[in-house]
Amino acid sequence: MSSEIYIMSTIKNIELPDIGDFDEVEVIEILVSVGDTIASEDSIITLESDKASMEIPTPSAGVVSSINVNIGDKIKQGDLVITLESGDDVAADNDANAGQSAPTEAIEAKIVPVTVPDIGDFDQVEVIEILAQVGDELNEEDSIITLESDKASMEIPTPIAGKVVDINIALGDKLSLGDLILNIESSALTSADTEASVEKASTPAEQKPAATPAPVEKIATTLDQSVSNAPKGESHASPSIRKLARELGVDLSNVSGSGPKGRVLDEDLKGYVKQIITSGSMGGGLPKTPVIDFSKFGDTETLALSRINKLSGKHLTACWLNIPHVTQFDEVNIDQMEAFRQEQKAKGVKLTPLVFIMKAVVQALKNHPRFNASLDESGENLILKKYFNLGIAMDTPNGLVVPVIKNVETKSLTDLATELAQTSAKARDGKLKPGDMQGAGFTISSLGGIGGTQFTPIVNAPEVAILGVSKSQMKPTWDGKNFIPTLTLPLALSYDHRVIDGAQGGRFMADLNSILSDIREILL
Amino acid sequence: MITKTQVVVIGSGPGGYTAAFRAADLGKEVTLIERYEALGGVCLNVGCIPSKALLHTAEIINEAKEASHLGVSFDEPTIDIDGVRDNKEGVVSKLTGGIKALAKARKVNVVTGYGKFISNNQIAIDDSDEIIEFEQCIIAAGSRVTKIPAFPFDDPRVMDSTDALELSDVPKRLLIVGGGIIGLEMATVYEALGSEITVVELSDQLIASADKDIVNPLYKRINKRYANIFLNTKVASMEALDEGIKVGFEGKKAPEFDTFDKVLVSIGRSANGKLIGADKAGIEVDDWGFINVDKQMKTNVENIYAIGDIVGQPMLAHKAVHEAKVAAEVICGHKSGFDALTIPSVAYTDPEVAWTGKTEKELKAEGIDYEVGKFPWAASGRSLSIGRSEGVSKALFDKNTHRILGMGICGTNAGELIAEPTLAIEMGCDMSDIALTIHAHPTLSETTAFAVEMAEGTITDLLPPKKR
Repeated sequence: MSSEIYIMSTIKNIELPDIGDFDEVEVIEILVSVGDTIASEDSIITLESDKASMEIPTPSAGVVSSINVNIGDKIKQGDLVITLESGDDVAADNDANAGQSAPTEAIEAKIVPVTVPDIGDFDQVEVIEILAQVGDELNEEDSIITLESDKASMEIPTPIAGKVVDINIALGDKLSLGDLILNIESSALTSADTEASVEKASTPAEQKPAATPAPVEKIATTLDQSVSNAPKGESHASPSIRKLARELGVDLSNVSGSGPKGRVLDEDLKGYVKQIITSGSMGGGLPKTPVIDFSKFGDTETLALSRINKLSGKHLTACWLNIPHVTQFDEVNIDQMEAFRQEQKAKGVKLTPLVFIMKAVVQALKNHPRFNASLDESGENLILKKYFNLGIAMDTPNGLVVPVIKNVETKSLTDLATELAQTSAKARDGKLKPGDMQGAGFTISSLGGIGGTQFTPIVNAPEVAILGVSKSQMKPTWDGKNFIPTLTLPLALSYDHRVIDGAQGGRFMADLNSILSDIREILL
Repeated sequence: MITKTQVVVIGSGPGGYTAAFRAADLGKEVTLIERYEALGGVCLNVGCIPSKALLHTAEIINEAKEASHLGVSFDEPTIDIDGVRDNKEGVVSKLTGGIKALAKARKVNVVTGYGKFISNNQIAIDDSDEIIEFEQCIIAAGSRVTKIPAFPFDDPRVMDSTDALELSDVPKRLLIVGGGIIGLEMATVYEALGSEITVVELSDQLIASADKDIVNPLYKRINKRYANIFLNTKVASMEALDEGIKVGFEGKKAPEFDTFDKVLVSIGRSANGKLIGADKAGIEVDDWGFINVDKQMKTNVENIYAIGDIVGQPMLAHKAVHEAKVAAEVICGHKSGFDALTIPSVAYTDPEVAWTGKTEKELKAEGIDYEVGKFPWAASGRSLSIGRSEGVSKALFDKNTHRILGMGICGTNAGELIAEPTLAIEMGCDMSDIALTIHAHPTLSETTAFAVEMAEGTITDLLPPKKR
C-alpha cells in the first residue's frame, strides 16, 4: 500500500447495525442529505418495524457522499445505508473497510427501467406527449412523458438521473401502473441502489399480474413472462402442476407445498387461488362495517392515524379475533401497601403502586405457571416460560407501546421504579429499540393514574393473560360490625380461554389479591 | 397467386410437423412449407433416423464379432453396402411417408418449395409470385452443417454428415474432424463397416459438453479400436490430392500431415435464421443466425413464433417437438409455456453416452453444493451378462435437499436409461425417492438406483463410500 492512500480522503460505508431480531425493516424517514456534515451518533434514518420506529445513528463522523436507501425500502442488518467521506481517517479505518466493496466499484453504469408510477386511481391512460428522447441526459424529476386521462393530464417525471437508452412507448399508447416507459443508463447511483430501484420499479407489475393485461388481441394467450415456475424454498412442483399454475396465472414462488417433502400439490395451488379470491372485496371473510359520508351530517376533519396506531391496531385486531377472551374482576384492599408506600415516600423513596403490582404478579405467576406461557404453532402444546419478563403498556404521544421489563423476580422495588422511569422516558421520546419490546410473558396495563372503575384489557398474543389496573378508591368495607374505609384497587384479568379455565383464572386472581393485600408475601 | 391460411409453418422437421399437426388438431387451417419433397427435415432424412438405422447395422456386426467370447463364432460378415443403404432408406421412407399420410389426414396443406418472408404476413415460395398470406407463423427452419470455407468441400471425399449418411463407399482410412456426438456416431458406423478411423478434436475431451468421467468408458473403448484420437488438436489445412485428402494438424500428439481416403467434417451446426428473409418481416436475428424467443416461443414480431434449432441450443429434435406444441397451443389461445427443467442429451455411440440435468462441471462452475453417487457397471449382473462391463452411472444431488440435479450414464442403452432420471428431475425427486423405487432385477435400469444408493450410502452390492 502506498502512503498516498493514507492521506487521501476515505469513503466509509455506513451499514445498518444489529437492530435486534428483525430483518426487512422499512425506512420511513431519511434525516440527512448528500453534502451534510454529520457527527458521530447523529441520527441518519428512521426505521419502522411492526413494533416500533427507531432512529439509526452513524458510528462515524464525515460528509455524506451518497444515500443508498429510499423511503419505503425494506432493509436489514448489513445493508448499506449511506457513504461518508472523511478527510482525517487513519489507515486503520482503511483497513477496516478493505473487505467491503470499494467505492469506485460501486459507481458503475446500470440500466434502470422507469415504469409508470402510482398516478392515482387510473388505468389505461393515454400518452399524449413524449418529452424525452433516446440519448437525452435527464436529471432526477425531469418530466419524461405526459399522460392524459378523461379527468386531467399529468407529466410523469423520472425518479432517477441518467441517459435515456430506449423508449418503450409510443404516442397514443394507453398505460397503467407499472408499465415500462423507458430505460435509463444511470451512473449516478451505486450498484446496490440501482438494484433496489430496479426491484422497486418492477414490483408493481409483479404484484398485479392481472391488472395490466396487454393489448386486447393478446389477452387470451399472453403469459406473464415474469411468472415463475420455481416454487418457494424447499418445495417443488411437477410439470403438470407447473402447467396448471401457468394457466391460473399463479407465480409458484408464492405457493408453499404441503405434499411429501414440500411438493406443491394441485390443492395447494387451488387453495392459494381460493384464498386470494375470498380475501378480495368479493364476499367471504369478515363482514365490513358501513362506509358513510359523515360530512353530510356536519363538518368533519380527517386525521391520519399515527404509524404506531396503525401497527398496534393491526396487532390488536389479530389478538381480539384469535383469542377467546374471558375477563374477570376483583378489588384488592391495599391499605397496607399504601401505608408502606407513604412511609418510604417520607424517607424520599418514591415507589408507584405499579412496582408492587409487578412484584406481586411475578409471585402469582410462579404459583400459576400457565399464565406465563404461550401456545405453540400447532395450538396443541403450551410453552411454559421459566423467566419472568413483564410487558408494561404505556401511553405515549404517538400511541400505545408495550416495553418489556426483564427478569422482574431479580429486581428490587427501587430497581424497578428506576427502570420504569427510564423506560417510560424512552418510550415518550420514541427511542425504544425493538429488543426493548420483546420477550414478555405477561402484560400489565395500568390506568391507575388516570381513572375509571374497570376495563377489559385485550390479551397481548402470543401471551395468554393480561392484567388491567384501574384507579384505586376509598370504599366502605364491612368487617362484620362496621363499615371501614378501605383503599381498594380494582383489577381486571383477561385470559385466553383455550389455555386457562375460569377456575384457574379465579385462583390466580385470589392469589394475586392475597399477595397485594399483604405485601409481605412478595418476599415469599 | 396469393393463398391465404391461418397458420403457416416453415420447415417440416420434427418441430415443424409437430407444430403444424398440433395447430391443425386444435382447429386451425394450416399450411406447411418444406423445401424438399420428403417431409421430416434433417432428423428423418439425413440425421437421427438414418444414422440410427446404420448404427443398428454396426451393432449387429460388432456383437457378432464379440460373440466368440460366448462360445459362438460367426464367419467374417459379408457386407453389401447397397443392402445396408437400402435398409436405411427403407426406414426413412417409411417414416417420411407416414408423416405425409398424417398431414393429409389432418388436412394440412403441404407446399413444396423454399419459403422466404416478404412481409410480416406473407411468404414467397422459391422467390416466385406464389405467395402464402398468413395470420400466424411458426418458423421451424432449423439448422445446417457448419462448413469451414478453407476446406475443399467440392471434393466428394470431404463429407459432411449428410454425405456420410449417403454411404457411397467404405473408405479405408477415414478422418473424423470434430469429436462430438455426430462425428462419433458416424465413426461407430464406418468402423463397424471396416474403415480405419482417426478422430481429431480441438478441445481436451470427446463430447465436450458432457462430464469427462462419463465419456471416459467410451474413450477407452474406441481408443483401442481406432487408429488415433487426437485431442487438443486443430486441423490447420486440408488439400485434395489424387492419392487422398492431405490434412495438416496442429497438436502435440498428431503428425504434421497425414493423408486420408475420406474426411468427415462434423464440427457443429449453424442456425438458419438469416436464410429466410427474416428482415422483411422485421424479425430480429442474432449474429449466429438464432432468433430470440420468449417462453411462449414468440419472436419480437407479434404474430410470428419460432421453434427448434433456429431458436438456440441444444439443437435436439425432442426439444423442438416440445417447443412446437407450445407455439401451436399459444396460437390457439392456450396459456402454454416452455418450462421444462431439463432436456436430455444422448450420443448413440458404442457404448452410448447420455446425460440430463446439470453436469458436474456446470455445478462446479455455478458454485452449487452437490453430492455424487457413482456406480461402475462392472458390479451389475445384467451388464456383465451382456458382456459389456465398461459402463458407469453418475447421479448428482443437491447437498442440502438431496434433490436430484443431474445424471450422466455411459453404457449399453444409456439413451433409454436417461428417461428415468429426467422424469426424476422434473418431479423433484430426492435420493430416497429413487433408491426406494424398486427396479427390476437383473436390468440395466438397476444401475441408476445403484448410483443413487452410492450417494445415499445404502448400497449393498458394492462397499458404500460412506455408510448412512
